[in-house]
Parts: sequence; C-alpha cells; structure tokens
Amino acid sequence: MAKPKIASDWMAGCAGCHMSLLDMDERILAVAELADLRATPITDLKEPDASGVDVGVLEGGINNTANEEVAHKMRQRSKILVALGDCAVFGGVPALRNFCGVQAALQRAYLEAESNDAEVKIPDDPELATMTRVRALQEVVPVDVYVPGCPPDADVIFHVLSELAQGRKPEVKGELLHWH
Amino acid sequence: MVTLTIDGITVEVPEGTTVLRAAEKAGVKIPTLCDHPHLTPFGGCRLCIVEVQGFRVPIASCTLPASQGMVVQTNTDKLRASRKFILSMLFSERNHFCPFCQLSGGDCELQNAAYAEGMTHWLIQPNWNTYAVDTSHPYFVLDHNRCIMCQRCVRACGEITGNFTLSVAERGSASILVADCNTPLGKSTCVSCGNCVQACPTGALIDRQSAYHGLEKRLERKQTVCVGCSVGCGIDALVADNQLIRLEGNWNAPVNKGAMCKTGRFETPAENRARLRAPLLRKDGKLEPVTWEEALDAVAAHLKPLAGQPGSGVAALVSSRLPAESLSLFKQLFANGLSSDMVTSTEEGWPTRLPAELAEQTGAAFEANLDAVRSADCVMVIGADLVEHHQVAGFFVKRALPKGVRLIVVDPQENGMDDLAAHTLKAPAGSDVEVLRAMQAAALKAGLAKNAGTIADVEATLAAAPAATGLALEAIAGAAQMLAAAVNPVILYGKNLTAPAGETQAAALKELVALARTVGAGVLSVKGKANSLAVSQYGLDRPFELNGHQAAYVALGDDEPSKRLVKRLEKAPFRVVQASHVSPLTEAADVVLPVTNWAEQEGHYLNLEGRLQAARQLLQAPQNVWANDQVFTALAGRLGVALQSNWKEQLFQRVSPVAMIEN
Repeated sequence: MAKPKIASDWMAGCAGCHMSLLDMDERILAVAELADLRATPITDLKEPDASGVDVGVLEGGINNTANEEVAHKMRQRSKILVALGDCAVFGGVPALRNFCGVQAALQRAYLEAESNDAEVKIPDDPELATMTRVRALQEVVPVDVYVPGCPPDADVIFHVLSELAQGRKPEVKGELLHWH
Repeated sequence: MVTLTIDGITVEVPEGTTVLRAAEKAGVKIPTLCDHPHLTPFGGCRLCIVEVQGFRVPIASCTLPASQGMVVQTNTDKLRASRKFILSMLFSERNHFCPFCQLSGGDCELQNAAYAEGMTHWLIQPNWNTYAVDTSHPYFVLDHNRCIMCQRCVRACGEITGNFTLSVAERGSASILVADCNTPLGKSTCVSCGNCVQACPTGALIDRQSAYHGLEKRLERKQTVCVGCSVGCGIDALVADNQLIRLEGNWNAPVNKGAMCKTGRFETPAENRARLRAPLLRKDGKLEPVTWEEALDAVAAHLKPLAGQPGSGVAALVSSRLPAESLSLFKQLFANGLSSDMVTSTEEGWPTRLPAELAEQTGAAFEANLDAVRSADCVMVIGADLVEHHQVAGFFVKRALPKGVRLIVVDPQENGMDDLAAHTLKAPAGSDVEVLRAMQAAALKAGLAKNAGTIADVEATLAAAPAATGLALEAIAGAAQMLAAAVNPVILYGKNLTAPAGETQAAALKELVALARTVGAGVLSVKGKANSLAVSQYGLDRPFELNGHQAAYVALGDDEPSKRLVKRLEKAPFRVVQASHVSPLTEAADVVLPVTNWAEQEGHYLNLEGRLQAARQLLQAPQNVWANDQVFTALAGRLGVALQSNWKEQLFQRVSPVAMIEN
C-alpha cells in the first residue's frame, strides 16, 4: 500500500500550530516514514496535489475570501480534513474581532494604533481579498477531525498525524484534549 | 429513608435527598455547573440531567428528590449527547473563547466540564453579542461575557453573606446579572466580601489581586485561620514562590463554612505598609540599622536595672493579633520576669474585660457560641455594629433574616443593621442600663418571662423608662416581647455597651445578662481582634497608663498602632518597638526590632466562642526578620529570665466567659 499523502496549509492564524508541529522534533521523521508529506507552508510545494491527498490539515480560521478559497480547495482535494488549532476549530483569537465588526477592527489597527506613523490608511488595493466575519473551519466546509489547542501540543499533533498515517481516525481525548 | 438504584448501584438516603447527592453517596459522579454543595439547589445549567425509569424526558438531578424504588441512569448515549449539546449552548451564548481567559487550563469548571465530555469542538458557533465588563469594584471585575447564568454568585450573596446585592434582571437569553437595580458593582450595596468570586465557576468574577498569578495547580493551598478579627474564620491561603496570592474561605471550617469578609479576603493580601528589615537603634537622635546582637544588648542594658521597680519599671504592651504562644512568653518575660506592674495589650481589654470579670465573679462561663447564633430565631445586637466589624458574624444574622429570624438593634449611633431590624431602639448613649431594665420589665409584664426576673417593681420601671431612655414604651415593649416570645433568642453584644454617668459598663452587662436569663436568651460578646480572648485569659487586659515608667516595650507584631497609643507613649523616656512594619510608633522608638507578620509565623488563636485554632506558617520571613518568640527568648536570656512553653495550660487557668471548644 502506498504511503498516505498529507498536505497542510494555514489561513487566519499565527503559524503557531505549524510551529508546534515542528516542535515534535525527530518524531517528524517517524511521520515522514509513515506518510508522504506533500504541500505545506514549510515545504516547497504550496498547493495540495490536484490528484488529491488522503489527509488535509488546515490551521487558522476563515476571515476573508482568500481563506475561503484555501478551505474549499483543501476540502475538495482531501479525503480527511483536519482542523488544527483553536482558530480552525473555534475561530480563536482572530474571531475576537467579530465582537466589534470588521470596520471597527480596521479603524483601530490601521488608523488609531499608537504605533502608526503620520501617513496612515486602511489598505484598499483591489487585489486584496475581501474581509469577512471570522469563521471556524466547520462553518465553511465539513470537518472530519478537530484538534483544538492554542496551539495543540506537539504530542497531540504527533498522535493525530501518526494515527492518520496508519489509517486510523484519531481520538483527541483525556490528556491530549486542551483548548488553550 | 428511601432506597434507589443509580447506574445499577443501590443506595439508601434520607427522604428529601436529591438524586445528585444520592449519586455522590453511591460514588457516581454526575457533572454539574450551577450546583454547589454549600448553596441551595437551583437547577439552572441542566448539565446534571439523568434518565429515570418511567420519566418521559431526562431531568435535572440536582433538584429531583430521590424516591423509593427510583431507577436512575446517569451516563447513557442519549445523556452524553444531550450534555454536549447543553455545553455547546452555554459556550455559544457569550464569549467563551478559552485562550484569553485566566482560568483556562484547569481552573474553569465550564472548560473542565467540556473536557470531561470529550468535546473537541462546539456544535454551535457563538452569536457574537458583546456584554459589558463592570470594572467599577475595587477588588474584583465582573465580565458578563464569561457569565453562564448559573447564579452561584447570586446565591452566595444571599445565602452566605445575606446581602442580596446580586440578582438577575430580564428573562431568557436577555438575562443579565445585576447589582441592586442595575448599579455598577463599585457603587452598589456590595460589602466586598468576595463570596461571589469564590463561588463563580468561570472567569466571570475575577479577583483583581490574584488574576493572572497562576493556575491553582501551580499554587500551594495551605489551611489556616484568618487573624482579621475574633471570629477566626477558617481559610485557605494560596501561595506560590513565597508570595501570598489569594485567600479563600475554607468550606469545611466549622466557624465560617466558606464565608469570608472584605477584611480577610481582600484587605489582608492588599497589605502595602513598608516592612522593617533590620533592627534599628537610635544613635545621636537618628535610627541606624544595627545587628540583632547590638539591638538586643541595648534593650537588655536599659531594661535590666528597671526589673522589679513598681511604678517606675518597664511598661509593656502586646498586640492581641499575636498567637497565644507569643502572648504567653511576653507575659512571662515582663510580668513574671521583670515584675512590671503595667503589662497589658494594645486593646487594653476593652472588648473583653466586662465578660471576663463577670465570669470571674460567678466562677463559670455564661456565653453561648456561634452555633447558637446560627440557630437563633431572634437576635438582638447591642453595643456592636456587625456590618463594620466581625462581619462574618453579621453575615450569620443577615442571611437568617429571610428565613423569618427577627432582629433587634440597640445602638445610640447609626448602625449598619438598622434597616434590617424589626425593632431599632435608639436611646441616647449612656442609657443601655435603663433600656435593658425596661425590656426585662416589659417581658415580665407580658408574662413571657421564661425565668424569674430581677426587677422588683415592674410597673415603676416601665413608668420611668420613657423619661430615662427617650423611647416610647410601645417600642421597648415590642422589642422585649419579640425577644421573649422567641424559642431560641440570642443577644450579641460588643464593647460599646453604654452606662449612665457614675456607673460602669459592667452595670450594663449585668442588666444584659439579667434580661437574657429572664427571657431565656443566649448571650455572646463579639470581642475584638483575633486573640482578644487569649489576651483576656492571660490577664493582659488592664487599661494602659504610663505612670513614671522609665521604659515602654511594645510588641506590636503586624498590628497598626492607634494614634492615641502613639501619643501616650511619647512620654516614655525609652521606647522599644517590636514590629513588622514602619509606623509612627517605630519612627519614634529608641530601638526597633523587626519581626514576622501573621503569615510568617505559626501559633494558636482563641476565637470569640472560645475555639482554639492553629494558624499555620504560610511564608518564609525576610532575611534578618525574627519570629516574635525568638525575640522574647533572646531577651529573656539576656535578662536572666526563665521562660516556659506551657502557654496552653496558662490559657485555661482563668475562668473564661465562654466555654472552650478545642478543634
């Protein structure tokens, strides 16, 4: 049997979940033994194979149209979709802006922040994606495996990836279950 | 008794026991959020739902009385799915994003409940409504966004504190916690006891001082006794890295059962007086840091020639916040060793002398205890304001009022409990003797006396009462009849009993005890500081007077000296102050000896009901700061005085006004 293919990407997050993935140290070699690591933000390949992967992993929530595209593409090309980290599972820290709205958040960040210089403006390049309410991954596409944590510990990620690489659906429970 | 089966386990419980408590007895854990063992069942969160054979739908076990033959299931697939849904609803209602909450990671009961159900995600996303954060209170913050409407705070406020400040306004999803009629907490009737904060299961009520100072698993919980006043509440001190992080009421403590007041919970950890860190000796008019050796030698050199000189020797004062062990050594050193004729406490016996003398005269304890207060059906408070001092004793009274307990307040001044009382008798200061005699006469006249009275001429006493007290006869009679008609009346009294000119307060206490005996009431004095009663038992309770004394020694500990004391000590030619903090007293002293504070020492305290309790050492003292006992022992060595460690024996030598209770 061919090694299962795993791809990952990040959206509205801080990259911390991928840092936590790397934090599993030499165990990443064990994962590479069992699985074929394809497109990830930390490998050369940047998009999941058009032919599809077995496992797609997404970090971050969905806060604009570009993220929506990433989420849909990964869903379409993955047999199993994993929501990695609190932002993908719940919306996380970026979702705080939902409590005040996009405009107020932009205003505060780009016009009123203490660190701004004199020439301040809200970015309005037409090529920029359109901002939306911050959503958890499950609000945009169906999710198969939820791995909460801010970030999930390296042990949790190793457990999830090694289970998936061996063709099992991982259970995140007990000591492995943390939301913060 | 009823017998029921819970998850196949048969358990027998008294009638009226809830299924939740029966399950606890059977060793079956049912998840809960709004339940609290010390609060009335409420049935708000629905997490404790169970399936009962014959019932159409699952039902909350916390409000369901167990009945004979009931067959209960607590952990079916249906219940687990329902619990996940209930938790999802709670999470979706407000802002329950865990990563930015200080309780996340073990201290939040909502998060722990979700973990226990194995929830990896929410079934429903939040609705993004925002709620106010009330930061108006000096000691805690109310973040409505984290509130789950379990109303544990509301019940703690009413059932533990008896203050009824917190309640819920609006209905359904618009429900919101409010103080008074939607007043900011800081401007409300809140008495800052913090019992609501201790009861809160989430991060909705946040203690400002300990917030973000670490999760409970990183703190050490040490059981001890509050030394804020003579009530002697059992408390848990949460400590990390030799820092006091937070104080909590000990739910199992016999005195307070979890309750605390502002003084203990918030003011004690907020201590910010400057600390004394080295012995100081006055040289050329200026206090200079010196070694302990030099400081103690200087004290011994001054005190030794004064030993055994009545009227011109050393006058010695000790704080009634020190443990019994220290009080005993202090007494042995100054009263026995140096034969000083002025050895007393900084309270000078004001809160305890009256009951102590009465007990000595009669040779027996005459006071009731706090259990009597808690089970009373009528309470009379005289000479004390339990809203200002001994607040937890006040909570015992306040929280009983909605259950029909009647309150009578006798106080010439404005009293914090005036508005709660059925009768307030405001006779001018100095007329307590007349008020108490008139009350006894009124009880006798109404035929409600349970024992023989001491009033020879009832009619004449009553006739004279309005003129003597300025009160209408009906007011006196109303209060007297209420007290006398009660089954278990209790009179709580304080040091502010007043007597007419020419008579002493003892006359007022005599009348108070006579009234109590006539109407069959228990009496209990609230006393003063943490070890007031111990100070009294050691006889350190006489009025302080400097009368030609050549030196004054004040073992102040961490107490705050009164302005009056500082003023009176100005006359002493040589002053030694043994204290934890810088104060006007230490600044004027000739020798300053830095000692441990309440948290850095261990020892015993005798509370207002005669309960002997051990306080633990919580923190290590700063370097070069000595324990009080160490200082007394070192001085005794230099002065050639032998000290004994029989503090306990000495404590029980004098007849006590209240029967002793040993934990």
